[in-house]
Amino acid sequence: MDAFDLDVRRHVYFSIVANGCPPTVEETAAALERAVPEVEDSYLRLHDAHAFVLFPDTTNVWMANPWCFAPTPYRVEAAGRVWTGTCAWDALGIPGALHGDGRIDSECACCAEPVTLVVRDGLVTEGADLIVHLLVPARRWWDDIGFT
Amino acid sequence: MVYLRSEEHLKRWLDDNGWEPGATLSAPQMNELARRRYWTKLDPGWRPPMPAEFEALLDELGLVGEFWSLG
Repeated sequence: MDAFDLDVRRHVYFSIVANGCPPTVEETAAALERAVPEVEDSYLRLHDAHAFVLFPDTTNVWMANPWCFAPTPYRVEAAGRVWTGTCAWDALGIPGALHGDGRIDSECACCAEPVTLVVRDGLVTEGADLIVHLLVPARRWWDDIGFT
Repeated sequence: MVYLRSEEHLKRWLDDNGWEPGATLSAPQMNELARRRYWTKLDPGWRPPMPAEFEALLDELGLVGEFWSLG
């Protein structure tokens, strides 16, 4: 990952926090004063490097972990905004990435009953009795990140 | 990676879908892993973490064994 790709990645993540959504290739190109094809290539390299994940056959950001930009059952309130987490892990990662508190509204994967977790000062203060299950072993997480 | 209300719900969910069990963490364990994994995600000087750094974090949290091996 070269310096330009790191700049692009940084712009994507900072835009997510500032605006609640990832920038398009065109927006990033304008912000960094670079040509659109250069930034498009960078987005593709960052996808290949697992820095973020693009929707299939596009340069639109699907996941910039822990954030997700498609509907999931992981609604996260943190830093004065409502976000979508990629999964049970990433939902808890959003307050972590933002260095703050958070509330996660989700559901039990088995019975679909609502579940809530609250994180205060880095600790789970509500929902601590819930469990999290990971089906896919670590070495295969990126084989099909949408399923993972 | 999903939330479940209990071990009983986990068993039923696995059975209903015909899936083999993977790894189960308590919500506080998952929170600690997530918080530490993502703490530096927005640092201006962020660099891609080396696999060894992640392995060290997993070890520190007691997440060891074949399931957690990065291979």
